[in-house]
Amino acid sequence: MTTFDRTQHTQAPTMRWPRITFIRLSLLAMLALIIASWIFVLNADGAQNHSFLSAETFNRFKDFFADLLGVGSSGTPAYAQWSEWRSTGHLAYDTLVMSVMAIGFAAIFALVFFMFGARNMMMGELAPYGSWFWRGVFFFVRGIFVVTRAIPELIWAMLIIFVLSPGLLPGAVALGLHNAGILGKLSSEIVEGLDQRPIQALRSTGAGRFQVMVYGVLPQALPRFVTYLFYRWEVIIRTAIVVGFVSAGGLGTEFRLSMSYFHFTTITLLLVWYLILVLGVDITASYLRRLAR
Amino acid sequence: MTSTTSRDSAQKPRLLESRRVLTLILLAAFVGSLLNLDWTTGFIHSGGIDAMGEFAKALFTLDLSADTLTSAISASWTTVAYAVAGLTLALLIGIPLGAIGSGVLTRSPWLRVTSGGGTRFSLAFFRSIHELVWAWLFVAAIGLSPMAAVLALAIPYGGILGRIYAELLQDVPDAPLRSLRSTGASEWRVFWYGRLPMALPDMLSYTFYRLECGIRSAAIMSFVGLGGLGHEIRISLDDLAYQQVWTYLLFLIGLVVIVDVWSTMVRRRLSE
Repeated sequence: MTTFDRTQHTQAPTMRWPRITFIRLSLLAMLALIIASWIFVLNADGAQNHSFLSAETFNRFKDFFADLLGVGSSGTPAYAQWSEWRSTGHLAYDTLVMSVMAIGFAAIFALVFFMFGARNMMMGELAPYGSWFWRGVFFFVRGIFVVTRAIPELIWAMLIIFVLSPGLLPGAVALGLHNAGILGKLSSEIVEGLDQRPIQALRSTGAGRFQVMVYGVLPQALPRFVTYLFYRWEVIIRTAIVVGFVSAGGLGTEFRLSMSYFHFTTITLLLVWYLILVLGVDITASYLRRLAR
Repeated sequence: MTSTTSRDSAQKPRLLESRRVLTLILLAAFVGSLLNLDWTTGFIHSGGIDAMGEFAKALFTLDLSADTLTSAISASWTTVAYAVAGLTLALLIGIPLGAIGSGVLTRSPWLRVTSGGGTRFSLAFFRSIHELVWAWLFVAAIGLSPMAAVLALAIPYGGILGRIYAELLQDVPDAPLRSLRSTGASEWRVFWYGRLPMALPDMLSYTFYRLECGIRSAAIMSFVGLGGLGHEIRISLDDLAYQQVWTYLLFLIGLVVIVDVWSTMVRRRLSE
């Protein structure tokens, strides 16, 4: 891990140039990307009416912050009204429900497929016999994981809203699909990193592929799977509001409406609920994670 | 072998009990969440199945016209540029705040608690708000500027990087640090010549992993009106031009896969 080219020290007298390694090339490529990206972003920014670093930007930030706090606007700010707290509280509950549903969908999907996405189960040391069929299943399942993972939750939601009627369900399905890919990949990697001796012992008793899965792999893999589940739940609750922008339901929908009606103090209230949710889920998840260990 | 198995089974009931409770809690939560849905009306709206069929059919008649391909390539570049620029800023946030938040820069317990705690709190705040929410707030404040997308990416990513960097800097093996201290090095020197070089490969590895996430996050910045692949997907969806949607989706998937493969290769070599 910390071998920062010991070879270079031993060979230093004979070598003038640092050895070309993949890491060095990657870092150079990254540097080039960074420079190109900033040139692009700054040029695109210069094309705006005003550049980003200016007094005008600062003033706009100041005004926006004042709007959020309701300074200088007529009427009581939304965050100072009990009824507003109650109605947005319902939305926060909806968002929480959406996140639980989503992690449930993702967990079911991942639990069904993850064994078939583990290389050692399908065609490696743990496979009772090699066969092109199981090899095909492996690549198919990994392909599903890649595609579901590569498409962000929000874009899933945009697609799903064409099929499912608005409400909590499309949001939960969108969140679930993206996280299914992530959970699937992570849990397949758990299986690939498992201690193989108990499983091989089981195999030597004549257990078949599915018996090995249920009695050998599952008990070993499940605790870490549950840990990943809670870790993803923390991410999902942060994204649930974003998915709500397109699928009706929860804090996200109200956030979007308040933005378009310029109800700035309502936005503040929604953000407060959002932070409460995130904090609550973080605490609950870390408690449950300890229980799973 | 046999002795360990029997010992395991002797311990099993107690272990199983806490796990059984956990399983019950999880199942109850999931079922409870499903009960919140309105089961009386159908979940699929009229025409939903048709739309899905059309959408699936469109995959086989991809729009590969020159126009679509050029705009897909330029949108891909916009997405990459936002992601990379955002990640650079995130590094500028994450490295110093992570170093301070880890509390390894000072030996005074009082400073460690105040500066470390304060930094960790702000990092937690940065990352608790999703990048798209940050983006929307920035756009509302300063208008449609690419800097809004870059900043919106940089803040939560800076928060995550800072937290992970802090943990990595704390987890460095202690023995080499002790020998540095025994030569009279200050905590600052120990950080510079001991902790940082030892934690660097892991820090780099995590940063490369985040690049993949950054691409996906940059792609959805379009939702608030900033360009990129998500923007094209959204426009094509509004036009019901499913063939184009597929082209852009495949570009997005390709982009994420390329970055994923690259970052996996880098990380495998770093952990060797």
